Amino acid sequence: MSAAEDIWSGPRESRLRVVISAIGLSGAGFIAVIVALSDVIARAPAGAVKVGPPSHVPDVMYAFGTDVLGRDILSETVHALAVTFSSGLVAAAIAIVVGAVAGFAAVRAPLRLGVALRGIVGVLGALPVLLLAIVVVGLTSHEFAPIAAGLAASPSIFNRSFDRAMRLARSRHAEYARATGIPASTLLRRDLVYEVRGNFINVAGRAFASTTIALATLSFLGFGAMPPHADLGLMIASARANYLELWWPALFPALALILLILFARLAAALDEGEPP
Amino acid sequence: MWRLWLLRAAQLIGSLVGAVVLATLLATASHPSHGVSSFLSAFLAKLLAVLSGDFGQSATTGASAMTAALTAFPATLQLLLAGVIVALLLGIPLGVFLSASRTLRAAAPLMQIIAATPVFVAALALIWIAVRVLDWNETSQASALSWAGLMRSADWSTALRAFALPALTVGAAGAASVQLSIRRAAVRAWSAPYRNGLRMMGLGTFDIDLRYAVPDVVAALLRDAGEIALALISAAAVAEWVFHRDGAAVLFLKSAAFGDWNVAAAILFVFAVIKLVAQFVCLAVSWFVAPDEGV
Repeated sequence: MSAAEDIWSGPRESRLRVVISAIGLSGAGFIAVIVALSDVIARAPAGAVKVGPPSHVPDVMYAFGTDVLGRDILSETVHALAVTFSSGLVAAAIAIVVGAVAGFAAVRAPLRLGVALRGIVGVLGALPVLLLAIVVVGLTSHEFAPIAAGLAASPSIFNRSFDRAMRLARSRHAEYARATGIPASTLLRRDLVYEVRGNFINVAGRAFASTTIALATLSFLGFGAMPPHADLGLMIASARANYLELWWPALFPALALILLILFARLAAALDEGEPP
Repeated sequence: MWRLWLLRAAQLIGSLVGAVVLATLLATASHPSHGVSSFLSAFLAKLLAVLSGDFGQSATTGASAMTAALTAFPATLQLLLAGVIVALLLGIPLGVFLSASRTLRAAAPLMQIIAATPVFVAALALIWIAVRVLDWNETSQASALSWAGLMRSADWSTALRAFALPALTVGAAGAASVQLSIRRAAVRAWSAPYRNGLRMMGLGTFDIDLRYAVPDVVAALLRDAGEIALALISAAAVAEWVFHRDGAAVLFLKSAAFGDWNVAAAILFVFAVIKLVAQFVCLAVSWFVAPDEGV
């Protein structure tokens, strides 16, 4: 039983979960459309200066205002959202493959290899995702930030997936399958199909949310995206110098980032198995 | 039961050994080696040194890496401790409130908005509110709280303000984990089958909650201490960076940026030890609080 089932048990809560998940998926879909049309929606190319008057307050002409270099914040936010979204997808894909799928398969590994792997990953799980990602970026380069975020988020996803697969491996249907001579690989395929069908959106939503937070924080701290390919974290970091007076260059990217993470978490149907 | 505790202790020792190996691997990365055999010999030499507490020297200052790390840790521990207090003060009432009834449970999605806010965004928002709304002195965020500073400072409120914002930032991140842990445990405790039996025996709801549900919830919170510690450590790294505090977390960021892996490895090792030991100790305490829940 997942944590979500603990908190959200009962028919009324189940219906609410479906509604919230639909809201999350719709929101994520809307953001995906914005990202796909980013070059059309944005009036200026990424990083273009003197598009408008410097430090212009948001108004009808410049909906999100401009920064000290005259960059249109709406255009910059849309471009940065596209970078964050695509990097988040790469990172989430890595986290799902290295974490969820590997954790699921490790249970069926021979010679108690899976238990040993669980122990090793458990040690990595004793470190925060952010610090692990920083180590990977530090040992490689900034271009590897999405891979670093995906790898760093993997241990906790691996552990959850491993524990879930262990419960399935000890379940009654698995015992019957073994007793009737069904091969372990067939059983693994069957469990994986059911797992993907039942939980993929939950796992993917959580993985996307956690890796996007890690990626944005990496960029904010100077370990992630580099100019001219600014993501939302880097945009907020750039606006930090004078955001106490010029609040709009920091506010709109921050809101876009929060919405992106929020929709991913809602799409996960409030399965709050992982710490926020 | 003692066998289970022996297993838990063995797991702790195994994890600590794993942390030593991980830190050694990271520290060995700072030394260029050609080929597998060269790397292995460098790794073994480093492992022996690390086991005696010697992580080598800092590549940037030349000082002992462990000493540099331990010198920076008091400020981080101070922040973490303050964060724990804030997390409990905010998280426990919030968790209890949001799991008090089915209607309030339905309001829990609102927590998602807070949970979706990255720590650095929350920290910047807190600074903006402090400076623009509360008229706090902007420069006061740069200084760190220390007992020596407090003893010297004529203006206690300025010194405390400088500490309040980072502590609130770290505490808010911890509170999100605390409330989640409480909500999960409370729902389990309040729907447990034994409640009906106790009611039939004549116990009131208040008595059942006080004698059975509360210990279960507290024990569950203690069992989640490791995850809460991770959230706090992660938030401390960001808070130290945003609020310009010279702690271990910010030293780790600088070490990783400059490739000073001996110092980074030492700090990472201490963080892992803090998490693993906190998890084990809290697990032990949880058993005393609610022995029936197991470990």
